[in-house]
Amino acid sequence: MKLSIDRESCLRSGQCIYLQPELFREGEDHVPVVLVERPEGALLEKAEEAADICPASAILLTNDSEQD
Amino acid sequence: MQETITPESLFSPDAGQDPYPIYSALRERSPLLLEGGFGGGRTWALLKHDHVYNVLRDHETYSSAGGFGGSGAAGSGGFGMVLINDDPPRHTRFRRIVNKTFTPRRIAEVQPLIERVAGELLDEMGTGEREIVNAYTIPLPVKIIAHMLGIPGEDYKTFKAWSDSLVGVSSGGMGNAMGGIAQMAQYFTKIAAERRTEAGNDLVSLLVQPDGEGESLQEWEVLGFCVLLLVAGNETTTNLLGNMFNGLARRPELWAKLRDDRSLVPIVVEETLRWQSPVQFIFRKAVRDTEIGGQAIAEGDRVLTYFAAANRDPEMFPEPDEFRLDRDLHNHVAFGMGIHYCLGSPLARAEAQVSLNAFLDRFETIEPGSVPGTRLGGMPLIYGFRELPLVVG
Repeated sequence: MKLSIDRESCLRSGQCIYLQPELFREGEDHVPVVLVERPEGALLEKAEEAADICPASAILLTNDSEQD
Repeated sequence: MQETITPESLFSPDAGQDPYPIYSALRERSPLLLEGGFGGGRTWALLKHDHVYNVLRDHETYSSAGGFGGSGAAGSGGFGMVLINDDPPRHTRFRRIVNKTFTPRRIAEVQPLIERVAGELLDEMGTGEREIVNAYTIPLPVKIIAHMLGIPGEDYKTFKAWSDSLVGVSSGGMGNAMGGIAQMAQYFTKIAAERRTEAGNDLVSLLVQPDGEGESLQEWEVLGFCVLLLVAGNETTTNLLGNMFNGLARRPELWAKLRDDRSLVPIVVEETLRWQSPVQFIFRKAVRDTEIGGQAIAEGDRVLTYFAAANRDPEMFPEPDEFRLDRDLHNHVAFGMGIHYCLGSPLARAEAQVSLNAFLDRFETIEPGSVPGTRLGGMPLIYGFRELPLVVG
């Protein structure tokens, strides 16, 4: 699964950066930067959790075959 | 209206009616030293977007402990609110557990409930000149939260009484609150124990059942969280709704446009949040010497981060006093910013959007009433209406 941020939707709440610092760090414009593009195992679970709680629904986990 | 605007104007009766000219006049002086402070020490008002934004993100320098609820003095009334008054690491554990309560997915699941309650309230309200605060904007959020907490319909009146007793806590008064809190303590302690044994589909069950990391809340934390939901989640939403419908009642051409194009509804909600933020400011306390915009801030100084003033900073939002649908609103701070970003924001947004759609479905027009609405007044922390008569039909 590929982890990415939808920059258009991101509201810069910073919850992902705060709670999953292994996966996200703060970017220049406060939009998160993904640190692990293809998380697996426990990290994948954390990525799923981050995607679930994001208030803007801006964290995306997509199958590798779905490129945009 | 007073002739000269001074820092003290921020706490004048005028600020309760319309604080925005005061923010405009004072913004360039941010950070602005306030005489008299709050419980000793210096207090600074931050009115610029970048000052507010940077302070809210820097939770290591600016602590939330002891900052909110009651008089602000430590241990006031013996009740400190969880989450909003916490710093990491306590905050981190708590937030991680409660984040699952109001996820967008969970809120999508309660959307039908919100629509049903909106419809019922509007059926009862009828048409003509109606006072919408008591008929709609107060009961809607209370009923939704009661349902999400698993409070049965027959207990709603009791629950609403607790909620009423907590009104004003957010503005600093603990007056009626302790009785309500004592009753809530009994109720939720019992409920939490029941749900720990047998989980239901409600928020209390969600919080007392261990999550993937084996973490769950203790009974007293559940109570603290429920009080927080009532204090932080009811009045705020009520005021968002009031500010929105008041703004729209004065913009008939926009109402007509919305009737034809519902895709604009989320934008109207978001612009209302920016334009008349329900929560005007919040406290933080510096835990070390620092600086803001070249001004030295000492350890122990408090800062008031004015969301509402930041949201009308012309450097971030051109023509900030205009209500416009074409803005980039990503950086508005009506829900705060950073680790304390409003937990309930998906619910607030959903309630406002459903409400606006419900009004648009039923009412061809919405106009100001025969008397103007009454603003809340009091401590200008919260900005909304106590009463708002509108003509709907």
